[in-house]
Amino acid sequence: MSMYSVLMNNIKMTLNPKDVIISIDRPKILLLKKHIDYLAKYGTDQDDYEYNMTEYLRMSGIYWSLTAMELMGASDRMPKDDIISFISTCQNKESGGISACFPHDPHILYTLSAIQVLTMYNRLDAIDVEGVVKFVASLQQPDGSFYGDIWGEQDTRFTFCAVMCLSLLHRLDAINVDKAVEFVLSCMNFDGGFGSKPGSESHAGLIYCCVGTLSICKRLDALKVDALAWWLCERQLPSGGLNGRPEKLPDLCYSWWVISSLKILNKMRWVDKERLEQFIMACQDPDTGGFSDRPGDITDPFHTLFGVAGLSLLGNSKIKPVNPVYCMPQETIDRLKLKPQML
Amino acid sequence: MHGRVKVRTTEEERARKEKERQEKLKIYKHAMQQIFHKRKEGELDKNLLELTGKVLSSNPDIYTLWNIRREILIILKKADESEEEMSQLYDAELQLTEYCLKINPKSYCAWHQREWVLTTRANPNWEKELSLCNMYLKFDERNFHTWDYRRFVVSQCKPPLKDEFDFTTDKLMDNFSNYSAWHYRSKMLVELYPDVEGGRPIEDSHHKHELKMVQSAAFTDPDDTSAWFYQRWLLGAVKTNIEVAVYTVSPLKTTVAFSKPVNQTYVASKIRLFINNDLVNGEWQSCSGNQYDVLWIFKHNTDVTDSLDVKMEYDNENGDVQKIPGVKQNGNTYVGKGEIDFQRKYSKPVIEELINQLDSCRQLLAMEPDNKWTLLTTTVFLHCIDAKQYHKEIIENLHTLKTIDSWRAGYYDDLITKWSLEDQLAIDYKSDSIDFKIKFDDKITSLPHLQYYSHCENVDLSNQNLSSNVLASLELLQNCKKLSLANNQLTTLQRFPNLNLEELNLTGNNDLDQEELEVFKKNCNYSVIF
Repeated sequence: MSMYSVLMNNIKMTLNPKDVIISIDRPKILLLKKHIDYLAKYGTDQDDYEYNMTEYLRMSGIYWSLTAMELMGASDRMPKDDIISFISTCQNKESGGISACFPHDPHILYTLSAIQVLTMYNRLDAIDVEGVVKFVASLQQPDGSFYGDIWGEQDTRFTFCAVMCLSLLHRLDAINVDKAVEFVLSCMNFDGGFGSKPGSESHAGLIYCCVGTLSICKRLDALKVDALAWWLCERQLPSGGLNGRPEKLPDLCYSWWVISSLKILNKMRWVDKERLEQFIMACQDPDTGGFSDRPGDITDPFHTLFGVAGLSLLGNSKIKPVNPVYCMPQETIDRLKLKPQML
Repeated sequence: MHGRVKVRTTEEERARKEKERQEKLKIYKHAMQQIFHKRKEGELDKNLLELTGKVLSSNPDIYTLWNIRREILIILKKADESEEEMSQLYDAELQLTEYCLKINPKSYCAWHQREWVLTTRANPNWEKELSLCNMYLKFDERNFHTWDYRRFVVSQCKPPLKDEFDFTTDKLMDNFSNYSAWHYRSKMLVELYPDVEGGRPIEDSHHKHELKMVQSAAFTDPDDTSAWFYQRWLLGAVKTNIEVAVYTVSPLKTTVAFSKPVNQTYVASKIRLFINNDLVNGEWQSCSGNQYDVLWIFKHNTDVTDSLDVKMEYDNENGDVQKIPGVKQNGNTYVGKGEIDFQRKYSKPVIEELINQLDSCRQLLAMEPDNKWTLLTTTVFLHCIDAKQYHKEIIENLHTLKTIDSWRAGYYDDLITKWSLEDQLAIDYKSDSIDFKIKFDDKITSLPHLQYYSHCENVDLSNQNLSSNVLASLELLQNCKKLSLANNQLTTLQRFPNLNLEELNLTGNNDLDQEELEVFKKNCNYSVIF
């Protein structure tokens, strides 16, 4: 290699187009109160454009906000009674599945979100639990995989939703767990990671789903831990942020998906926690509150949850401990006596 | 919200924008109301197709609207719509998804609708779909939705696998930094070119060819990470078997450790224990209580006494019966060890290629000693070629990597631990000792391969860098009596497993909570020193 290319590489290191530069004026400490106010206010203006246009994922939105609020010790700022009656209206009487928002169709994504919210509130009585079990079980296919709904989209995300949902209800007996595991393992790749279906490229979000599934099913032994954890720790970029795939930009949500997976694999020490914390802190918006995907972008409840949950895993004392598999408060998981496998 | 940069706007601009949005919102709300009303009334007709199409054109992620469209198309087909008419409707549906994918190329819903149409309609044009994939991959060569869709199309029209393999070559020649293409290539490589005779994942000449290709990619731009992952995989693509590491038969317990996790069926069908030439009957339980484990406990009623003839038979993966004699230790304990060898086994042409590439790496390193990827690759090559011979250099390199790639210092620490332990294990397994003590200078940070020491009675892990996250794995020390964790970095004993110890030394772990220690000690039936 010539001096020229050495020089070029050095320049590229400093001007990496696949990373961000955190400017000096970005937040460095946790703006807890700002985030609580941001989430408490979110959705109170029924005419808000953004809020209305995201109606099709409302149930997950509630889960993101409530979980973040629980972790920040401020869930009393959420309209509990309204949320519970809203969820009741979203359950489909025939299929038992739950939709994002009435009158949308039931889907496993929103069924899980609803179950997560209701278990945090300890109010599963608000829905027909047997209906949910029946709905989830009906989506399992002969190859062990799960459809998201009756229309046949297949994805490892849905396997995770099914397994997580039924474990929260203590009803894993309703599905074929061995087959579900077999399907997940058929999605394992050369790098030890997982994609959305057999043959799909590894992606940190889907790795989290698959590792989480194997943790709940107590089959972490089937992972190629060293290869997978190495790939995961290589997601960390000079800015301290993590990307979801090689040669991609960092994004706050991956700080959750990567380090929760590493936590389950007992390899969190393979990333630089201090630099990651700096990146997460820099994704806060000191004006509006909330976290965004990258420093300086618009905040939303989704990234706010993953910012808060990520800081919790990093041991921030102002945030309650989060369970790395369920992305819910550890106290809820303890109350349910759930013990997902951890290496 | 991904990648939306916050811009500062003036008050006027904001007001204008808000007005615009309120207009849009009104239209949206009205349309949605109409749609759900018609659906409730059972009016699943072409008009509803139009209404949902309009909303989806700007919001392709509203999943329920796609469901409604499918319901309509199914009804129209049942209602004896002519074949030509249906074909036109399906074409229009494909056009809509194309339009939506232009707005959001990552819309799960739009991609799935396309799949649904093509698997529902008669005579789908797969060729066209494949060229659509080619086009989309030109816009964004890393969109995983497009790659997934491509794999779906390929699964339907089944072009020769070699064509797809060549497609990845073309893509990589365009740009080596295409991880998606490396990924797809890995799938086809093992399908197209497995080493059937040798039992290796990849046939020799292709293994060598791929290594060469990675080398030219990696040397084009050493800081691009894509090719390095593929290379690391190629280097790991060797045959490895499940081996018996060690077994222990004592009056208290019988355990067998394996190189990899196995399940009960495997253990029960492959392992036979003989005492004085009598087959011992019993039941196998995993050490962790999980379905798969590296350590298994054999519950049996045979008395283990002095001067027995203890022997284990293992039906190994090569189809041979491996006979492992038990060697008597103190106190009526018998230990039998398998043969261990952590060195990867490559074929001759591959090893020659590795030696060649090591040479190039060293040259590159001489010019650029601080390049992480070159140094890491050099180190991995050394380990693959001859871990024992190059051990010192390997460890030195890992120390350098800790400083030049400090983000991942913890990874390199664990690698030092693992490779040093592998080096030590080869020596330890030559003796009959039942003591385990770290014999190298670097302090260990984790406990890999611990099942290989499951027979040891005295385990000295003092003066290391172990933190509390290793405690759960100590469960593998099922035959340990004296355990020292003195002078480590333990902070809590929460995950300390149930062990039949006589003595546990916890001195010098200064961050351990005194109160927790007292409670822990009270609950133990062995002596705890702290």
